[in-house]
Formats: sequence, C-alpha cells, structure tokens
Amino acid sequence: MSKRRIVITGTGAVNPLGHDVESMWKAMLTCQSGIRPTELFDASTFPSTFSAQVTGFDLAAHIGQSITKHPHIGRHGSFALAAAIQAWKQSRLGEWSKLDPRRLGVYLGSGEGSLDFDNFTGLLVDAWKDGSLDTAEWARLALERMRLQNEVQQESNMVLAHLAAEFQARGPAYNVLTACAASTQAIGEASMQIRCGDADAIITGGAHSMIHPYGVTGFNRLTALSTRNSEYQTASRPFDQTRDGFVLGEGAAILIIEDYELAKARGANILAEIIGYGASADAFRITDQDPEGAGAAASMRAALADAGIDHTQIDYISAHGTGTKQNDQVETRGIKAVFGNNTKVPVSSVKSMVGHLIAAAGATELITCILAIRDQVLPPTTNYHHLDPDCDLDYVPNEPRKAKVEICMSNSFGFGGQNNTLIIKRAD
Amino acid sequence: MADRRVAITGLGVVAPNACGAAAFWDKLIEGQSGIDRISAFDPTNFPCRIGGELRDFSARGYVPRDYRKAVKVMARDIEIAVAAADMAFRDSGIVTKGIDPAATTIDSRRLGCNIGAGLICSDLNELGAAVNTAVVGGKFDLKTWGSSGMTNLTPLWLLKYLPNMLSCHVTIIHGAEGPSNTITCGDASGHLAIGEAARLIARGGADVVIAGGAESKLNPMGMLRQQLLKRLCTTGNDSPTSACRPFDAGHAGAVVGEGGGLVILEEMSRAKARGARIYAEIAGFGAACDPCGLDVMNPTAGGLENAAAKAVAQAGIDASELGMILAHGTAVPGEDDCECAAWKAALGEKAPSIPAFALTGATGSLFAGAGAMEVVAAALALHNQVVPQTVNFASLAEGCSLNLSARPRPMNADYVISGSFGIGGQSGVLVLRKCK
Repeated sequence: MSKRRIVITGTGAVNPLGHDVESMWKAMLTCQSGIRPTELFDASTFPSTFSAQVTGFDLAAHIGQSITKHPHIGRHGSFALAAAIQAWKQSRLGEWSKLDPRRLGVYLGSGEGSLDFDNFTGLLVDAWKDGSLDTAEWARLALERMRLQNEVQQESNMVLAHLAAEFQARGPAYNVLTACAASTQAIGEASMQIRCGDADAIITGGAHSMIHPYGVTGFNRLTALSTRNSEYQTASRPFDQTRDGFVLGEGAAILIIEDYELAKARGANILAEIIGYGASADAFRITDQDPEGAGAAASMRAALADAGIDHTQIDYISAHGTGTKQNDQVETRGIKAVFGNNTKVPVSSVKSMVGHLIAAAGATELITCILAIRDQVLPPTTNYHHLDPDCDLDYVPNEPRKAKVEICMSNSFGFGGQNNTLIIKRAD
Repeated sequence: MADRRVAITGLGVVAPNACGAAAFWDKLIEGQSGIDRISAFDPTNFPCRIGGELRDFSARGYVPRDYRKAVKVMARDIEIAVAAADMAFRDSGIVTKGIDPAATTIDSRRLGCNIGAGLICSDLNELGAAVNTAVVGGKFDLKTWGSSGMTNLTPLWLLKYLPNMLSCHVTIIHGAEGPSNTITCGDASGHLAIGEAARLIARGGADVVIAGGAESKLNPMGMLRQQLLKRLCTTGNDSPTSACRPFDAGHAGAVVGEGGGLVILEEMSRAKARGARIYAEIAGFGAACDPCGLDVMNPTAGGLENAAAKAVAQAGIDASELGMILAHGTAVPGEDDCECAAWKAALGEKAPSIPAFALTGATGSLFAGAGAMEVVAAALALHNQVVPQTVNFASLAEGCSLNLSARPRPMNADYVISGSFGIGGQSGVLVLRKCK
C-alpha cells in the first residue's frame, strides 16, 4: 500500500518583516531587520530593551466584517487568524464544494496568550501581607478585577477555537506546545494525520507572542536573549562568533496542507510536497542541549528516512539557528553528524532578520523553504562577520544566493530537548 | 503493510483519591471520593472552596536520587507527570534508565513520549515575593522590575512553567529519545496524546510510548479562571464529598481536582513476546472539534459525536459490543446535556442502555489530566470486567440519558469507549479492546 502524499496549497504569515508572505520574503531577500526598541511595554530598564515586533498590524484589514465573530481574540490569535485567511484564500479550498467539514482539521503549535500583566501584578501587590500572599484578599480583589475573556484567551488551545470557528472545521483539532519546536511539530504531526487518513486537509502552523514583561523576564533570567542594546539592529547573529543570544520575536505562520490526490482532483495550485518528518528527544537536561547534537541529528536522520532520500539530495537547510552560543554550535555538530564533516550543504537562519518567533518560528521558516524552491534563491544569514571555529558550515552569509533548490530541510529544536525536522520538495 | 497493533501494558495514576493503579481501582470500586475543603491555600473568598487535592504529594520519591534536585524546578503539574511516569513504567515491567540504568530493557531511541498539559499557573507566593521588591509609591513599577526586581526570581523560573516540561523531565529521567510531544487541548489533551502516541507506534515510529496528561488548577489562579467561567459548583462547600454529581439530578457545576495519568503503550508483538500484562488494546481512535467551542459561555461537547463515531468505525464494531461508556461528566449541567446528546448521536438509540461511568464524582475535573486518568480507569474496568460506580449518582438529570449506577456492575464485553472534551471545543475518543 502506498502512503498518502501530503502537499501544501496555501501559506500565510504575519511577522516583524511583513503582514503577508510576499512582504516578508521581499524583506528577507533585501536583508532587512525586523528588530527595534521594544514599544509594546516599557522595557527600558530590562537587560534586553529590543525585540522583533509586529507593527502597524490591523486585523480588520485582513478579515473585514468577519471580525465581529472574534471579539475577544488576543494578540497572537489575531496574527494567526490573518495568516490563516491568507493561506485559506491561496489554497481556494473554501471554493471546493465537496469539502467535508469533518475531514477538515486544525493542528497548531500556538503559544499561550499574553498575561493581563498590569492587573496581575497589581493584585500581587495589593494582596501582599507580611511577606506572603493573603489568598482570601487576593480572591476578593481578583474576582472584581480580572476579566473572563482575558483569562480564557491565555489557554493555548483558544487559537484553535478561533480558526475552527472561522473556517467551520469539525475534524481533528490539536494544539502542541513544544516550545520553539511547536509549529514544526504541528505541521509534521498534521501530515501524519493526513497520511493515515484521519483528515483530508488541515489548517496548520503556529502563532506566538512573548513580547510582554512576563515573557522577556523569563528569557532574560535564563540569559537566553541578546543584550546588545546599543546595536539592536544587528543583534541577531546566528552562527557568528560574537552571537550573544536570540532576539525575541512574535508572529504567526499558517499553511494549508492536504492529501495530494484531493489537491490534484480539485485542480489546486500545489506549492510544495511534504516528504519527510522526523522527531526526537535529547533526553539530556532541561537547561542544555545534548552537546554532541545527537538529538538534533536523530531528528534529521528520522526525517530523511521518512522521506526515503539520502542527505546528498538536500539542497538547503533552514536552520533553527537561534543565535545562542549553545544552539548554533550543537546544531552545527548535528548537521555534520548527518551530512559529514566536510559537507557543503548551505545552511541559513532567517532569525537573523525576523527574530525568534518561538512557537511560530518553524512554520515561518518552512514557508521560506517553499519560496526558496519557487524562486531558486536562498535567504541569507545576516549579521555574519566573525568565524566561530565551532561553526564552520556554509551559512549563506549576508546576502541571498541564487541556487538550484529542489529539496529543503527545516529544523526546529525546543527548550527541554524536543527536536523536529521537516523535508519538503518542489511540487511535481 | 498492515498497521502494527498497540497494547496498554502499564498504568500510572496520581489521583485525589489514590496514587498508583491498584489503589486507584480499589477506590473506584469502594466509591471513595477525594474531594474535601481546599487546604493548600485559604479559599475563603472563592465561591467554591472545595477541590480534589493531592495531600502530602511530592515527586521526590519517584525520581532517581541524582535527579532529586530538579524537583525544585518542577511546577506541580510536572511533579504529577513525573510520579505517574515512574509508576507506569514500574507497572509495565519495562526497565528504563530511570528505573535501573544498569539493566534497561528498552532501546532509548525507540521510546517515545506524549504528555498533555495545560496552562501552568505561576506560584503566586514565589512571583509575589519578587514583584513586591519592585513597588514604588504603593504600586508595581515596571522600571524597577526590569532593573532589579526580576533578579529575585530563580534563573530557571520560566522552565518551571513551560507546558512541554512535563514531557521533557520524563524523557530525561527515563532516557526516552524517540519522538516527544506536548498536547495542550484542555480536557481533551489526554485522549489526543494517547491516540497520537498509538498512531506513532502503529506506523513504526516507536515501539513503546509513555502517553497521557497531567494538570493542577488547584491554586488561586486556576480556581479564579474556572470561577470566571461560572463552571464551578458553589452549593457544596459544606458537603464536599457529595458536591460533584455528574449527570445526576443534583448536578450543579464542576469541582476542580488535580492529578493525571500516564499509560505505557507498546507494540503488541513486543508486549506478547516478553509476556507483559496487557490491560487492553487500542482498537479505535477519533478526534474532532466543534466550531461553536469559541463561545466559551455556551457549552458544547467539542464534536464528541464525530470523534466517537470515528473511533467506533475504526474499531470496526457495532455500538452494542461496548461494555461501558466512560463519560467525561464535568457535572456542569449544560455540558452534561451536550455530552449525553453526543454519545447518543454517535452510538445511536442503544447509547442510553450501555452501562456508563464517570470518574469526576470521586476526583473532580482534572483538565489536561482528566482524559488520561479516564483511559486508565477504562483499561482497568475492561481488564477486571467491572463497571465501577459513579460517586454521587442517584438519579438522572433531566435531559441526560446515560446508564449510570451507584453500584459497581459486572461487565461481560470485549470493548469499552472513553472520551473527553473541553473548553475551546476539542474532543478525543478511544475504543479499547480486551486482549485475550
């Protein structure tokens, strides 16, 4: 029995470089930076005062009248909804009359919603008595002050609910939150659902915004973020020896994936085919990656085996490439373990321009792989100027490169050691 | 190539009424409730002041000696998962790195993990102590927080609260290097995690997967959110053990519990070859959603009817072959109604005659921990051929139609069905088959 094939027929994106896929891509091919001083809150005294924010975004411009169906949608949900509308339109799946809503799924790697920070901290201050929380007083005040929808929208499955409502999906619906690997894992697992016949088409991808005091506090305490405050535009330096952490971004990327036979039958425009998915766990430490990159390598190997191809057939790797000391070194080792010490495979990290979109990162990067195949050009790793002896691959430095691109690999690795890899190829 | 078959060979459970599968089963048969007045914090001003608490619970006794330090960076949800994982592996007889690193009986690369989780609530005392160092003129001051206040939080603070840390700690302790996922779909998480894990084994991506879910909303923030949703029972504060009444005429809302369950899923021929105790086989799985789930104040069953129909179809059985419906039974009146209608839509007119059972009367609502604990209970019921009693059930609520009982009943069937659904509108259903 041959496996069902999975194809991508729609893409949508909202991120610091643009509010649609083509704007994002144009910015990447002209080496733009989406990084600026943080304006979403007063971060002026934080260790990191800058981030990659989505600016000037207006959900109504994407959704029109339908916005009334989503009165309480949160920030990352808005990004997801706009991206999903773009992807849905491109796929033209909504025009296909035979679509059974029970066969239409939603599988996201969406983050939690933003905390109602002012209210939350205010309560902790007002109900603090003699060095500990007076929970009775806290409850009294919280019941007055906290708002239902702000609290509900923080559950990470609520973005699913918004997309299911917008597109009237009744099929399998999952949200996964495997940190920075979430949307790659979502797309991979969604592919498996189509492959085993649980759904015909799935709205998949991810959305996240952690650019709020709570999120930046968490990452700053972990010392994971770049603190190059005076050189913020060039602070995201994946694979460069002077890299000092990642730059926190936000956004969403959504793809419509479906069964190949269905796409053919309805005359869809196929953007690419997903041919391989791999997943692994480092099972090492919560704070560190496996230093030899064994987990990363296992994920890449599993994806290659799933695709039934050899590593020599990979034309480009879209790296996880966060710009932390550890990730880039470990990822380089992992790639070498699979591709050989002297591999010439080009590897780049668009996080150098768009920042790290956390749960939304992998889906965003997979879309850049589709565009690399379409336009036969590799997006660069910008801000790359100093060779790190531990990172000595071809990182497509500082400018895009014309190349023959038929098959791409995209990596995502989550805090805690959950690793995921996708492989796509040109549609035939 | 035919798909590989999947067996359940180990059960781990941390419930308000018992820890461990054997004790849990005893409590279910005795009908013992784990619900009492909340003791972990002062619940005075909450309209609902009762819950299914884990008393004197810590993961410390369930981790290898050299991992005990890490318990400090585990939120309660994580501790529950870590403890349940230890019990589940021990119950299965599979020796992992976490059980005995010198005698492992499983290839790490073929061992996967899939644990459902919720939005983990911050410890308000921990965060409050830091926040209160950044107060200027009686108000929280963000500038002071950024420059000095935040340094009062432990550097690893964020890692205590990431939902994927349930899976991550379990994979690290037990050396599980295969695929690892974290599903965050509210109450449906456990069924979805176990269903997805079974698919992983079926397609050959792993030989053994530990799967399930865990959550604790028994803290001020978690209680507050449920209270704002107006889902909680506020009339049972003086009679905690009888407050949570799924499908009963007196049902008046949910009671928050904490806990979780993890099951060991194992490829069938491997399980048989090592002579494992097989509680059940995963015979069918379905997942679905209801687009109306977005309106959280208007109950749905999250598409449970479609998920259940798919699971039954995949098992290739008729509804009359089911020996039990393990209902989700939140005890929220509107939700109970929707659930009964969903079972009827999926299983037909026979649905109200199939013996049914709901755990919540004894445990309260466990959110991401609910589904997996229900699957544990379903596997035990099938294995023991007994339908446990539904605690606090006396007579059916108007509009509800399930065959519940206040006494345990014998079962004579090869199949049981179990499903869950949650706020937001997702659902998952599993059909289990008795292994002969």
